[in-house]
Amino acid sequence: MPFLQFKNVDFSYPSGESDYIRALRAVDFTVERGEFVALVGCNGSGKSTLARLCNGLILPDAGAVTVDGVSTADRSALYDIRKKIGVVFQNPDNQMVTTIVEDDVAFGPENLGLKPDEIRRRVDWALDCVGMRDHATDGPFRLSGGQKQRVAIAGVLAIKPELMILDEATGMLDPDGRDEVMSVVKRLNRDEHMAVVMITHFMEEAAEADRIIILDKGKVVADGGRELFSTPEAFTDAGLDLPVSVRVAQKLKAAGLDIGCPLNADELVAATTRALAEKRGGK
Amino acid sequence: MRDVTIGQYYPARSLVHRADPRFKMVIMILYMVMVFFCESFFSFAFLTVFVIATILLSRVPPLKVLKGLKMILIVLLLTTALMMVFYADADSAPLAEWGIFHIYLSGIYASLKLAWRLLLLVLLPTLLTLTTTPTEICDGIESLLTPLKLIRLPVHELALIMSIALRLIPTLIEETDKIMNAQKSRGAAFESRNPFKKIKAMLPVLIPLFVSSFRRADDLADAMDSRCYRGAKGRTRMKVMRPHAGDFIALLGWCAIFVCILFLKYNWLGWSFIPLLGI
Amino acid sequence: MIDVRQLSYVYSPKTPFAKQALADITMRISDGDFFGIIGGTGAGKSTLVSHFNALTRVQKKSGTVLVDDIDLGAKKVDLKRVRAKVGMVFQYPEHQLFDDTVEKDVRFGPKNLGLSAEEQAERARQAIELVGLDYDEFASRSPFELSGGQKRRVALAGVLAMRPEILVLDEPTAGLDPVGKRDIMELVVRIKETTCPTVVMISHNMDEIATYCNKIAVLGRGRLLGVFDPRALFGTEKALREGSVRLPLVTEIAGKLNAAGVDVDPAILKEDELVQAILKAAENA
Repeated sequence: MPFLQFKNVDFSYPSGESDYIRALRAVDFTVERGEFVALVGCNGSGKSTLARLCNGLILPDAGAVTVDGVSTADRSALYDIRKKIGVVFQNPDNQMVTTIVEDDVAFGPENLGLKPDEIRRRVDWALDCVGMRDHATDGPFRLSGGQKQRVAIAGVLAIKPELMILDEATGMLDPDGRDEVMSVVKRLNRDEHMAVVMITHFMEEAAEADRIIILDKGKVVADGGRELFSTPEAFTDAGLDLPVSVRVAQKLKAAGLDIGCPLNADELVAATTRALAEKRGGK
Repeated sequence: MRDVTIGQYYPARSLVHRADPRFKMVIMILYMVMVFFCESFFSFAFLTVFVIATILLSRVPPLKVLKGLKMILIVLLLTTALMMVFYADADSAPLAEWGIFHIYLSGIYASLKLAWRLLLLVLLPTLLTLTTTPTEICDGIESLLTPLKLIRLPVHELALIMSIALRLIPTLIEETDKIMNAQKSRGAAFESRNPFKKIKAMLPVLIPLFVSSFRRADDLADAMDSRCYRGAKGRTRMKVMRPHAGDFIALLGWCAIFVCILFLKYNWLGWSFIPLLGI
Repeated sequence: MIDVRQLSYVYSPKTPFAKQALADITMRISDGDFFGIIGGTGAGKSTLVSHFNALTRVQKKSGTVLVDDIDLGAKKVDLKRVRAKVGMVFQYPEHQLFDDTVEKDVRFGPKNLGLSAEEQAERARQAIELVGLDYDEFASRSPFELSGGQKRRVALAGVLAMRPEILVLDEPTAGLDPVGKRDIMELVVRIKETTCPTVVMISHNMDEIATYCNKIAVLGRGRLLGVFDPRALFGTEKALREGSVRLPLVTEIAGKLNAAGVDVDPAILKEDELVQAILKAAENA
């Protein structure tokens, strides 16, 4: 049984007096435990609607979203679903409930009704995971955007979910902040086996995932591993870019130098030196 | 704009920081009542000694505490000055007079006492907000008000609303600043004297501010829901408030100070013969 | 032209909380420049540009800023004139929209300048069309029901309706998707070519900075570390680069290739140049 499953999900929301916008149409996909999935699509593709469907903040008009076999439409199960799926949102300023970092991280486990020393353990662990232990007693106003998002991640971690959804969590950060968040997320996936769904339109981030799902106008138009990047149309048709390395490799291929499909700078450098060495060897 | 001391916790390790917030708040109420029972300069000085001692004990830099007074400084100076020149004493001759203004010796005393009283009234509450996190204050209030749950007062919800307000006020102040700058850049003038025009001029700031506040509220609600919030039911706390011996000692100590001040006010020991104490 | 002369700025001066935000900055933005300003958080970028239209006033004995002939360090500054001359587009400018129709919102600036009703209407129409929105379709719609990208265009139109000669942009593409980013940057280039010849842009996105700017000022902790042309900054200014300046992705790849022994110029800024350089290296191999 897949951990998270979307079955034929439709969702529309009202726009104006009588109009409806169909945000999602017949969306079908699954996420397994431990996976690292990037969900990409341009603004208005329905990405954020999808995130809110995962933990029952909104319910599908048709079809079903199930977590561990339980539908989000089952209101009595919502609380258990939210224990299993954590969501980090876009705006770092709008997720902190309290004025002290550690109190905020404690908010989730407190809602679970845990014992005080267990909450303390989880808070310390979560802050360690995101490298923010030193800021445990700071207020949010001393923190950078990247640090605030790491606190938000810790707040979700302390609930110990099995899947973390990052809904454009790097969208409002500067490049340094994005790097901080990305490296935390990668480490969580690798070391804690946390399943991650990274919703983003930064292709460089998407290229770090094991699997990519492309959303366009509310539909899943592609779903596959890293090999997806060798069919650039899948991305460009959805109004997305490709990572720079992929674009360069494609232009090289068009000019007669095939170096494969490197997804980041290091892979591109390795592929290029390999190709050049082969050429030398060929002569 | 970020000078507002309320909600600006100053982290440090001290007895005052560690004290139970409920005790701190009870002492605070006791203290405020006490201030109104102070009448003579001696009783003010007596109380001030303990206030200073508490500030020193808290390890908050005194400057930081004084900064909290900035907000009321103008009120303080104005009321004191007005009191001084408008004080009327039928029993003695004025020291000086200009038209409707008269200065009496008793007027000087009265206005100095007023200033001192206001100062004392603000000092310790400022220290409370500096040594107690807003969360602790909210938790403390929630705990102190728990009996009111019996009359169906939504105590937990009220405490939560307070905590979120404290969290968001600085953000909203910053946001107001930003929007005002954006509208000023489009030639908006907020300096009109006519209050009606002034409100109208503020609309380009207020409307975006409302829009963004609603957006923030929605976001926050989503974030809280996602983190398993479902009201007070089944909720526990990481920081459990457990009073220590020190808390009781502090409370007893302040009660003792209160008794001393009552002695001074009602002259129970008949020591007003010492002239200094009588003023 | 904006001439910054020995500009310093201190927050909460003469208190124990004083904080030096800008220190002794001298630089010149000439007419026709596409001037980039970069630097980490707290480098003073926003404080610096907020001087350009007198939102932040020059402090006493702290240098001055000249905008053409207007001395912003003078005691009395004609604010209306400065703000009409220097258009300021803040981060997420769509958050400043307030009126019930797009047209009224865009008119706000011209109205504040005290222009006649016809002039206001004319300017609003031109500005809305300049940002690529169809006037007849959008003028009477509420700005609040537009898409994110459209809102940003309306906000930009609201500044352009002031007919500025210098446009200052703070992170104009923040939060947009790749297509939205490209559209906005193309729009800025079009504005620069047609109506507003001088553009100043703060950005963290080095790819944008390298692609569009002809001069780049680097700020660090309130100090000006230098004004460079892009190739010099990303290619040769090693010391600076290792400090706080990130590289455009293309330049990063070029640098890594170069370090791995491939004969590629590490100062390459454009994708196509990189492709050509690699092909050339392959030919020589």
